[in-house]
Amino acid sequence: MPAGGTPPAALTVTGMSKSFPGVHALAGVDFTLAAGEVHGLVGQNGAGKSTLVKIITGAQAPDEGTLLVHGRPLDHWSPRAHMDAGIAAIYQELNTVPARTAMDNVFLGQYPRVAGFVRRGEMRRRFRELAALVGAEEISPDAVAGLLSIANQQLLEIMRALVAERTILIMDEPTASLGPSERERLKEIVRTLRERGVSVIYISHDLDEVLEIAQTVTVMRDGRVVETRPAAGYRAADLVHAMLGEVPDAAHAGAHVPPSADAPEVLRATGVTLPGAVHGIDLTLRRGEILGVAGLVGAGRTELLRCLAGAEKGARGELMIEGMPRRWPRSVAAAVRMGIALAPEDRKGQGLVLIQNGSVNVTLPDIAAASTAGIVSSRRRRELAGAAVTPVGFDPARLSAPAGTLSGGNQQKLVIGKWLHRRPRVLLLDEPTRGIDVGAKAEIYAVMRRLADEGMSVIVVSSDLDEVVDLADRVLVMHAGRKLAELSGAEATVKRVLDLVFKVEEVAA
Amino acid sequence: MTAETGRLAGGAGVRGFLVQHGPGILRTYGIVFALVVLVIGVTANNPTFLTSTNIYNMLSQWAPAGIMAIGMTYVILTGGFDLSIAAGYSLCAVTAAGLGQGGASPAMCFLAAIGVGLVLGIVNGGLVSLIGINPFIATVGSGFIMSGVTLLITDNKAYIVDDPSFATLGGGDIGGFPYAGMLLIGLMVIGGFILARSVYGQWIYAVGGNREASRLSGIRSQLTEASTYVVSGLCMGIAGIITASQLSSAQADIDPDIVFDVITIVVVGGTSLAGGIGSMWRSAIGLGLIATITNAFSLLDLNPFYQDLAKGFIIVGALALDVWSRRLARRAAIA
Repeated sequence: MPAGGTPPAALTVTGMSKSFPGVHALAGVDFTLAAGEVHGLVGQNGAGKSTLVKIITGAQAPDEGTLLVHGRPLDHWSPRAHMDAGIAAIYQELNTVPARTAMDNVFLGQYPRVAGFVRRGEMRRRFRELAALVGAEEISPDAVAGLLSIANQQLLEIMRALVAERTILIMDEPTASLGPSERERLKEIVRTLRERGVSVIYISHDLDEVLEIAQTVTVMRDGRVVETRPAAGYRAADLVHAMLGEVPDAAHAGAHVPPSADAPEVLRATGVTLPGAVHGIDLTLRRGEILGVAGLVGAGRTELLRCLAGAEKGARGELMIEGMPRRWPRSVAAAVRMGIALAPEDRKGQGLVLIQNGSVNVTLPDIAAASTAGIVSSRRRRELAGAAVTPVGFDPARLSAPAGTLSGGNQQKLVIGKWLHRRPRVLLLDEPTRGIDVGAKAEIYAVMRRLADEGMSVIVVSSDLDEVVDLADRVLVMHAGRKLAELSGAEATVKRVLDLVFKVEEVAA
Repeated sequence: MTAETGRLAGGAGVRGFLVQHGPGILRTYGIVFALVVLVIGVTANNPTFLTSTNIYNMLSQWAPAGIMAIGMTYVILTGGFDLSIAAGYSLCAVTAAGLGQGGASPAMCFLAAIGVGLVLGIVNGGLVSLIGINPFIATVGSGFIMSGVTLLITDNKAYIVDDPSFATLGGGDIGGFPYAGMLLIGLMVIGGFILARSVYGQWIYAVGGNREASRLSGIRSQLTEASTYVVSGLCMGIAGIITASQLSSAQADIDPDIVFDVITIVVVGGTSLAGGIGSMWRSAIGLGLIATITNAFSLLDLNPFYQDLAKGFIIVGALALDVWSRRLARRAAIA
């Protein structure tokens, strides 16, 4: 608790409550962000973190409660007013204007101007300053934002927050779409910002990361603050315990049985090539095996999966399914017929029709199975969907809700569930646990292990190396579209993967 | 679309119910209330409105626009737009009348016109889906080409068909119920059934809702999208032969404004321009609304100069209502 004489806290939230019909999103939350600290905010999806952030950024007005910014009350709830008070937020979803240049994005709405005209020279000079500050000198001010990597686009947003000297920065899952080296850079930037006196609220599902970077951690559950403590006093397991309110099934419980050495080979792909992204990858997969694919963002992991799933028109390679040579799939439908199914990386953009309900989404790959003579029966559709999602732990009663209203964890279950009815031989999972909470992650892991134990073969791509190493029987390490190594057994450790990847980076640099 | 996201908390009461479901109900059925109110209002002022003669006349008169609204509903549901329909409709009508003037049998004339419509639809579908030109621009462009071709063929003169049997489709009836009206209703029912219940219909909703997710689910997104322009082309053909038959003649640029009527019908009904949301019954209600308003102006002897004004307000109002109710629904859904 701040004693008299210390500077006022950057942000003081008192008794904040917000209800939506039927739900108390926030119930009397007290929260203090000390000046110049990085404050981790953790909790399951639905714990109230997003609502709290929306109120702090002025996107929503609370029902009750007060907000002090640097000791001054702020009671006008509009994004503009809160920005003017020095608050900026960076979300997991990018808010760049893809068609404009990097420089235009950074100065969006806050152009240095004279007599109503934009001062381009001044903009260029300040862009370089800001780029140096966040260690992004390689970004040209004239680069088209949409062509930059996700990590660099995110840096543009951070630079945008720095243009107006914002003193309070909220980062919501900033590392979710970044690879290991980019994560390190982002952490470094957060430290730099802190040294410059910026106070940061840092929200992440990656608890180790929160503990590493934050000085204080607040845990939320069911719209309340459960506890606030110095980060040094926590272990990740304590946080999980506080978030869930009970001892969860350990995420690693129910270890999957690796397939025996004589398990039949289900898939053999040789010389998989996608010009510009994947260069001659060979891989094999046995029945009931989980193969992990690790590598940096841009290593070609997603593209490899998309090639196998028939989603890339330019893909080449040779394919054997259960020992029989097959033509390389030219369409998703062709891959599905061979028993290869993909749950894509971007749940909202590629996995689901958000405006449609769960039943419709789950039966998308197989509408014909719910129809007679081309006419769809909605009852049959609901039955099929119910049967498909029950094994992945999705409550069939929620199938009638539009997919867009579900949590990330439930959306992921739908994306996986929609293939289960067809019982694919090979299930390709791209970032299956990105941005979903601890409880749902454990469930997704359990589902993957069970499917493999039942004889399905799984290839999983994830930026979370612990996850890959933990789940997979074998890990394929990729870099710049090529296979670096295949690790199995005791060899497959996070350290080994990182060593491999970074060694190559150094040699290349 | 009804989205039952969860049961109401016990104490929420009527107000809670309205807050949660009001926007949804308004959005889903507001257009039906509007039509009912309008029909009651017009009938109260002039009882002729609800006579069978008047209804039959309206059906006959609106058959071409209504039929093209069927195709437009398909196209808009995929998130597309077909602005070539006025020109295509003229070209199809001219094809029928031209062959008729030359002495071909009515069946021959009509089949040829429908064939032309199909070809035009295939061209539009190819431009939008396979080549990937923005639908708005692609169909404005193809529309100009269709107009140009029609003018060149006809030399801007009307074809006139003397054969009385050519006029049967557009002018004939059974006990006063015009064939054109039957065709309109029949096609709407069939088109609506396919959309709502068939596998193909589900593809359209899926592609309109999220093209990439549909493709990655093994749905042939491009082909589905392209096919809706073919449906629209088929509807142009049918609309064209009805008009040619009704007039026993056809010429270039029969009714260039019909494209706006057709889009108004679909959009006022509540089908979303973003794609993925909407249905055929909505277009049927939209047609009823626009037809009733137009009819009211002549029945109630109102100053026809106000007609465009009224239509304009209805379109803008309907879209504003749509945006507003969706915002409320989203707010309720956050809970």
